[in-house]
Amino acid sequence: MKAPPLGAFAAPNGEPHMPGPIQRLPRPMRTFAPGEEVDYVVVGVGAGGGVLTQRLARAGFRVIAFDAGPFWDTERDWVSDEQGAHDLYWNEMRITGGDHPLAFGANNSGKGVGGSTVHWASFTPRLHPSDFRIHSNDGVGVDWPIAYDDLRPYYELIERELPVAGPAYYPWGDPHNYPYAPHPLGGVGDALVRGCTNLGIGVVAGGPVAILSGSRADRPHCIYRGFCIQGCKVGAKASTLITHVPDAIANGAEIRANCMVGRIELGVDGRARGVTYFDPAGRERFQPAKAVVVAGYSIETPRLLLNSACSGFENGLANSSDCVGRYLMAQAGNVVLGRFEQPVRMYKAPPAHALTEAFYETDPRRDFARGFAIQTVGPLPIAFAKQMMTAKGAWGWGLRQVMMDYNHWAAFGFLGELLPNAANRVQLAEERDRHGLPVAKITFRLFDNDKKLIAFGKQKTIDVMGAAGAQEVVQEARYAHLVGAARMGSDPRTSVVDGFGRTHDIDNLFVCDGSIMPTQGSANPGLTIMALAARCADYLIAQGASIFTSSRRDTQAPPVRRDLSPPDTAGHGMPRLRSWRSTAPSR
Amino acid sequence: MTMLPRTIEMRPVDPQTGAPVGPLAQPGYYPDFHTLDQQSYWDAKTRAVVIDRVDNVPPIRFFNGQQARTLTAICDRILPQDDRDEAHRIPIVPQIDRRLFEDIGDGYRYEGMPPDPEAFTLGIEAIEQIAQAMHGRDFASLGPPDQEHILRSLHDGTPGAAHDIWLRLPVERFWTLLVTDCVSAYYAHPYAWDEIGFGGPAYPRAYMRLENGEPEPWESEEQRYAWNPPRWSVSGAFEPVGGKEEQPASPSQGGMH
Repeated sequence: MKAPPLGAFAAPNGEPHMPGPIQRLPRPMRTFAPGEEVDYVVVGVGAGGGVLTQRLARAGFRVIAFDAGPFWDTERDWVSDEQGAHDLYWNEMRITGGDHPLAFGANNSGKGVGGSTVHWASFTPRLHPSDFRIHSNDGVGVDWPIAYDDLRPYYELIERELPVAGPAYYPWGDPHNYPYAPHPLGGVGDALVRGCTNLGIGVVAGGPVAILSGSRADRPHCIYRGFCIQGCKVGAKASTLITHVPDAIANGAEIRANCMVGRIELGVDGRARGVTYFDPAGRERFQPAKAVVVAGYSIETPRLLLNSACSGFENGLANSSDCVGRYLMAQAGNVVLGRFEQPVRMYKAPPAHALTEAFYETDPRRDFARGFAIQTVGPLPIAFAKQMMTAKGAWGWGLRQVMMDYNHWAAFGFLGELLPNAANRVQLAEERDRHGLPVAKITFRLFDNDKKLIAFGKQKTIDVMGAAGAQEVVQEARYAHLVGAARMGSDPRTSVVDGFGRTHDIDNLFVCDGSIMPTQGSANPGLTIMALAARCADYLIAQGASIFTSSRRDTQAPPVRRDLSPPDTAGHGMPRLRSWRSTAPSR
Repeated sequence: MTMLPRTIEMRPVDPQTGAPVGPLAQPGYYPDFHTLDQQSYWDAKTRAVVIDRVDNVPPIRFFNGQQARTLTAICDRILPQDDRDEAHRIPIVPQIDRRLFEDIGDGYRYEGMPPDPEAFTLGIEAIEQIAQAMHGRDFASLGPPDQEHILRSLHDGTPGAAHDIWLRLPVERFWTLLVTDCVSAYYAHPYAWDEIGFGGPAYPRAYMRLENGEPEPWESEEQRYAWNPPRWSVSGAFEPVGGKEEQPASPSQGGMH
């Protein structure tokens, strides 16, 4: 046995030593009386619902935010263990089909306060200005009803609120920089930088990731333990559980955890009047509200809208366009694995810490529209064994043998933009869950542009791994992230919500999550979902009580409320940002 | 039927000398590295979860005796442990049984696939039917080479019998489910972490040597040795599953962004 060199982390009183103070939630949390009408019910406390609830509460609205899963106590509930993280995911049944079926659960779906942000790798690139008009530019997909400049102030706010660590100069899209210092490189990031550099491809390292590179208030800095996607027990990786929900509670919001919302109820006036939900004991209850915001992400949001079908809305709520559930997107997420002569030990450092967006934009020399990113990933042993099973067909003695070389492998994630298509969709299955609610059935397939993009991007990623010095390179086909299925648009005939997230059909029903994104770029969607939520909040706040009674639709963009950030997060960092903007050559 | 010498060598072999490797308390290239030695550095919850996994092997409650016997023989070939001594073998079937008994799912099911408990029951039955059709004996009593050839036919998507079952249970999906459950049990165990040199839990202590694959002061340098699978084994070759299609339906979804 190797003796621990420092002695165990145990103080004389027997209390464990921790690397920093563990966050304490404000107590007591406000609880509304049973049946008491509130201003807003928010369904789902993930990236979108967490940010929205925080801002609505801070602006003085009476808000209850529901989540189907638990309110995590990260110190008591979470572990540094792959298998032990199973409960973080949406493990209830969904049926997945089509020619290229998507995987769910641990791949992309959270359950519990914080939603998928508790298990995201927390890459936080912005969308590019071109993402908002790919139909105008390239004749594919659809344009957004808003532009990059509408979201830019919200990107800047959220990047400070999480905050995001990254390079001092980020060259792609709308060039910008980051408030927290970049992280040191792990072995995988080192390989990505080496491979890109050898091929003359631009690359950045150390972010952008929503992981603290230095302590901030009651959150400690990263300790590079590598279990980001198993839930950051350290508290260094941002999730709305620790970045926005505490401030929401401090400002009077109620978080109602372990409560599954089953239906949105409409009044005789055709307006939402609240939600029916199942409390932690499984009893059906009704919560009245003046307005309802659905933030359940790209599967549960359309499922709830479809399950809320009623007289006058036989095809589901807000579905006069027949777009609820349609235009579901995932990103191509092939994992390219390379074996190196020297050890890499890819379990150290955050999986997310270096990337290139050099291939992000449409290139007329290629035979497809739009592009892709190449990012670091850091599979832990079980994930890596599954990849070897798929990529190499390994089993038996061969699997044991290749696994003994785990420390010699590095992994890159190719992240490719797949285009929206009406045939890729969420519907209701015959099968029902434990509450008697029909479960989601998802149909997904690739189309021509998608296949060409994947073929090219996959090969480019393989080339980079080879240029980094890998002796052997293999790859696994897979998909990452979810967006779409309740898309925003200007035309009520072809979209579900307007540019602020308001459903075209029901004046006081909103959607505030990744499902409203009409296209996805090849950026990880989390930051954009949060920025959209902050903008939605500003709109709701600016409209005030008229949301609750009026059917007038104000299409004016709201003023940007920079005073609604959680305390002590705005206005920090960002050296040279302003001067960079004013002196940058036009692009 | 293949007639086997009673003394078939189950262990891997040294390619230079032909000598068998093992049984070892700890196979792999990090012989003096034991993650459990570091447990005083782990947080209490993590320590409890990992120690429970080692100390408390769940009882068989979902499978009947015959199914458990067959599945044990299957798992012994999917993740063979003949280079491990008896005291350091990693239980796999009890973990699969626990998942199915407690109805722990992964959040989705492929259209056309039965629920996981039914998939395992059907898959075991199909493998038994193949063994009977090809060898007239039950799978667990076959020699390892015959067992491997049957499993290889599942891996290749060309099972030789039980076609009525495979109509209800797509063979590629079942293979993926089976291997996924096996690796999820094996590589969740600290003995397997020691075997592959994975540092394991590192909260609250942290890792500090991030670059160049260097070990922490409490980790070990690699000490490689050459070994080959047993001569009769066909499981050492690599043939990607579904490799012909340009973008096959992706079955494992191991990594994340």
